[in-house]
Amino acid sequence: MRMAMALIFAEDLSKSYGRVRAVDGLSLTLNEGSVTGLIGPNGAGKTTTIKMVLGLLRPDKGCVEVFGQDPWDNPRIRPLVGVVYEEAFFPSHQGTLDYLEKVCRIFGMPESRAAEVLRLVDLQDASDRSIRALSAGMLQRFAIAHALVHHPQLVVADEMTTNLDPQARSSLLEIILQLRNDERVAFLLSSHILPELSRVCDSVAIINQGKVWASGKLVELYEKFAAGTVRVSTDKPEELAAEIARLPYVKKVESDIRGVSVRVEQESEEKFYEDALRLAKKVGARIQGIETGAASLEELYRVAVGGNRGSEVS
Amino acid sequence: MTTGKGSPFLEILALALNEDYRFPILEVFAFLYVLGTFAFASFSSATSTNVTSEYVAYTVTSSLLGALVFIFMILVFKNVAYGLGSDIEKGIIQTYFSYPLKRRSILSAKLLSALGVSLALFLGVQISSLYILAPDIVAPYFGTVLLTYAASLSYPLLIAGLILLVALILKRGGLALVLGIVFYFALGIIQNLVMSISLATNSALGLQIMSLFSPNLALNLYYQFSGYPPGSGPWIPSFTDALIYIGASYAIVLSAFLLGYFYFSRRMNL
Repeated sequence: MRMAMALIFAEDLSKSYGRVRAVDGLSLTLNEGSVTGLIGPNGAGKTTTIKMVLGLLRPDKGCVEVFGQDPWDNPRIRPLVGVVYEEAFFPSHQGTLDYLEKVCRIFGMPESRAAEVLRLVDLQDASDRSIRALSAGMLQRFAIAHALVHHPQLVVADEMTTNLDPQARSSLLEIILQLRNDERVAFLLSSHILPELSRVCDSVAIINQGKVWASGKLVELYEKFAAGTVRVSTDKPEELAAEIARLPYVKKVESDIRGVSVRVEQESEEKFYEDALRLAKKVGARIQGIETGAASLEELYRVAVGGNRGSEVS
Repeated sequence: MTTGKGSPFLEILALALNEDYRFPILEVFAFLYVLGTFAFASFSSATSTNVTSEYVAYTVTSSLLGALVFIFMILVFKNVAYGLGSDIEKGIIQTYFSYPLKRRSILSAKLLSALGVSLALFLGVQISSLYILAPDIVAPYFGTVLLTYAASLSYPLLIAGLILLVALILKRGGLALVLGIVFYFALGIIQNLVMSISLATNSALGLQIMSLFSPNLALNLYYQFSGYPPGSGPWIPSFTDALIYIGASYAIVLSAFLLGYFYFSRRMNL
């Protein structure tokens, strides 16, 4: 059912490029103050979805509304929306501060806001540089400053943290949380870096092959898809994984350098703890911890997409 | 605190001007226009006794246009192909689409910079020079001078319109420029062929069709043969004919640009 306060409302969106169907019947709702992650593999349809939301692409089928209006060629909604594209492009010969001051004038903002947002993304020292002289990471931070300059109520960002170093990523996530908490700014973020999204998102939409496979509040998705998922941290993951795989109620086992991720039948979760301890003793492995539920958004994503089902929570 | 009061349209226009006419592009072209105007001006027809005063005004103006139209075209084609085509190709237009402007306003700002400023500079230098060089010819026949410019510039503007369409559809600035140059020379070759065939067969049809795209041909034939008896050539257009062909050619130019506007505003996916 359509929400009254939806900032983004997309229903049954489809878009094809020639014979390739990039988005196929996708529906999505984003409400005020929400941080929603759009996750999916390469070619899942994330960028196409974002472009339709921003009015850069016309859907072949379905409808999309942003602030209750058609986003195609609609200047009325632009002051409400900040945009960060996967690759940022600006007139390259402009100075960073000069350009943002122009953008302030375009949106009717005080010009002092330009320096303010440059400080926010830690680019104040580059204010006299031309845009073309910025490094890839700086350009990405500049794009974020550009998206925030007019105090938007909604920020749509496609792979916003690409090219950012870990410190810049971390401070960007802080900025997102701060804007969400203090100013009720909503975000639609697409990213491949799932641990980052899990830090800031309250909802996610997992898309694959142009369809939303699962969407809803993160907590509810964990409950739905991560039940029966157990993470065992150990010093001998491969040996332990080989033993665990022989248990009859185990559906899936994956090991990595730090432990084993196991998906078991939900009713066998309690029994698995005992068996895990027993098998660890058998192979001489030291158990450092056992965690139930999906330990990360990445695991949730794997379960949801790997499970091959389309589902809507809430 | 300074509050931003800029009109979004004017800000985009300022950005477009800044990118299209980065130093020293405008200065170099202004210099070439002035130099070319004084170098190419020819007053030989003014000394001829057997011609009308309008014809003198036409030939003097045409002599100034000559090679300078080509320089003008370089600037316009570069601006349309690179100013707009490359903005689309690189994604800068996506950034502009996040500003509170209609798509048509963005295109208008880009075209005003690409074409309007180039045209104003070109005509400004040329007409001022004409007034300096030949005030007696220009002042009484200013209408003829303007008509000559109108007839001579519709062809380059048509090519600019085609470059615009190619740049919008293919989203490639460089390719649009190359195709524009190919169009220009192809139409030039076709025009020469048609003229030869028309003269050989004494048929007016080819000349009339070519005058739709390049109405200077009709105007030239009118001024050159207006005193001759009917049947002296394959086609001797009347003044009204010349005006109709100039109007029709601008209708074609306008159609190309309107098609560009329609595509940019309603159809262009990025």
